[in-house]
Amino acid sequence: MASTSGLRTTLSKMAASLTGLLKPWTPRVLLVRWSRYNPYYLEPEPRKEVYHIPETELTPEQKEERELKSVRPIKAATNSVTSSVFNDPVLSKFVNMMMKDGDKIIAKGIITQTLENMKRKQVEKYHKAPEGKKAEIECNPYAIFHQALENCKPVIGLASIQKGGKFYQVPIPLTDNRRRFLAMKWMITECRDNKHRRTLMYEKLSQELLAAFSKEGNVVKRKHELHKMAESNRAYAHYRWW
Amino acid sequence: ILKGQRYIYSTRLSGDSEQHQGQYYTVPPSHFHTVFPHGLPPRYQQQVKTFNEGCVMVRQPALELISHLKRADYSKPTLRYLLYGVKGSGKTMSLCHTVHYCSTQGWLVLHIPDAHLWVKNCKELLPSSYHASRFDQPIQASNWLRNFRTTNENFLSKIKLRQRYVWTKRESTEEGQPLGELVDMGVSRVKSSSDVVGAVLKELRLQAGGTEGGFRLAVAVDGVNGLWGRTTLKKEDKSPVAPEELTLVHNLRKMINNDWCGGAVIATLSQTGSLYAPSSAYLPQELLGEEGFDSMDPFIPVPVSLYSEKEFESCYLYYLDRHWLQHPHSQTEEGKKELIFLSNRNPSVLERLCAFL
Repeated sequence: MASTSGLRTTLSKMAASLTGLLKPWTPRVLLVRWSRYNPYYLEPEPRKEVYHIPETELTPEQKEERELKSVRPIKAATNSVTSSVFNDPVLSKFVNMMMKDGDKIIAKGIITQTLENMKRKQVEKYHKAPEGKKAEIECNPYAIFHQALENCKPVIGLASIQKGGKFYQVPIPLTDNRRRFLAMKWMITECRDNKHRRTLMYEKLSQELLAAFSKEGNVVKRKHELHKMAESNRAYAHYRWW
Repeated sequence: ILKGQRYIYSTRLSGDSEQHQGQYYTVPPSHFHTVFPHGLPPRYQQQVKTFNEGCVMVRQPALELISHLKRADYSKPTLRYLLYGVKGSGKTMSLCHTVHYCSTQGWLVLHIPDAHLWVKNCKELLPSSYHASRFDQPIQASNWLRNFRTTNENFLSKIKLRQRYVWTKRESTEEGQPLGELVDMGVSRVKSSSDVVGAVLKELRLQAGGTEGGFRLAVAVDGVNGLWGRTTLKKEDKSPVAPEELTLVHNLRKMINNDWCGGAVIATLSQTGSLYAPSSAYLPQELLGEEGFDSMDPFIPVPVSLYSEKEFESCYLYYLDRHWLQHPHSQTEEGKKELIFLSNRNPSVLERLCAFL
């Protein structure tokens, strides 16, 4: 085994492939905000179902994983990770995007008020509707949120590519993450900017989400405009080299 | 879909029988505007609007109060009941349940929605014309009189005044006039509305136990600990106003005294709107203070606890039936266990949780 000082210098430039040399250690100066763990540390498992599987029903890989976990150290879980059944990753992403200055309590509060508002409007409509129309009204705010986000996601995007001194808007395919990010970003900017001075965020957000659920409203309009721009710039599609 | 018959809601349930404990009874829609123009908690009002109906759970504190009211002797001095409990355990709802019962039995109900509203956030504080050192609150008094008029329409013409009241050099109300005129005058002449409130309370106190045309008077005060304590109001020279120096509070304290007969005083403690009280305080001794406790003593304490298992079940099934619990996981056993854990069976916390689930 190399001396401790030599080990420290190699470790400071280490790549994840050097797992053979890895040992559990924590650096002298701990980074708090953006945690950079030694790759030796394993990810935490927040889901409850994994721990309820009895011993006999484990596959060999799962048994191996459990043995590994009993030996290796595990990273600390972030605050947004829960074992609750009501945990929704898409909603957590939306909350993080809505957050300003790290104030997640306010952002989460706005989102819960939005969901409540949407549900109230829909349930009121449901109770006042005649028997035949009741099945068509969607009351679940989570379903409405997901469907509205789907309706806002663009299929194709534009990139600014330089060719011969000029910049052209070239239509490009988008990854799933990028599409979801764009839909959320448009929704949030729309609700922050284009509203009456006195409307609260949750009120405007619930109106926009309900409109997007029925494919109306400013956000789906923006998506359609992007699609039209991409369609009109079809000729430059061959400028894309990837 | 109801799994068990734990919860039945129907208009046939009268809301005051012991065997329906834990079940919901519906308040007829016509009663909402007459009996409760003020006094219901705001979140409950939203719930009534959303579900298009008003259902109240029949719980043990309200049943106890109602049984006491049925068996009390009304020729003796008034009994005072005090509802107390942790924050969000259902004190105001129990009070509203009792008030509804009293109004269905034909009592005259004097419902003060929140005594704390009278000791804070007052924009206009006029010096009283009747008594030099006291202060009037015209807006609060006229609002309350308007709501009082809506609640007790049928009594206003029956009760006659027994004394002559002089308001200004040219205006006075003679004796023998119906109470309705006094109330109308208070609503229209906002400046003297606090004194009108005092006059109304005095008349009702004198006439409540009377044998000819006698009616029973129920005084329901929410947040009674606001009457003894401190106010956040200030006089023009920035010195604080004590509660005794407000006409409304002074007259209400006389009402809560048990020197009249023919009715009952039902009061609720409330930490939520209270001033200068720590948030963990819920017992009568802590919230009323020395002075308040001595004035309220002797009273019948009625503790309001959190939901029992049966009541929680009932509430959960009610929300399911009204399509309020929409999250797919909240309708499973695991989701229910999580709700119990998160809310600790506290009624208001459960309501807020189920609102966004």
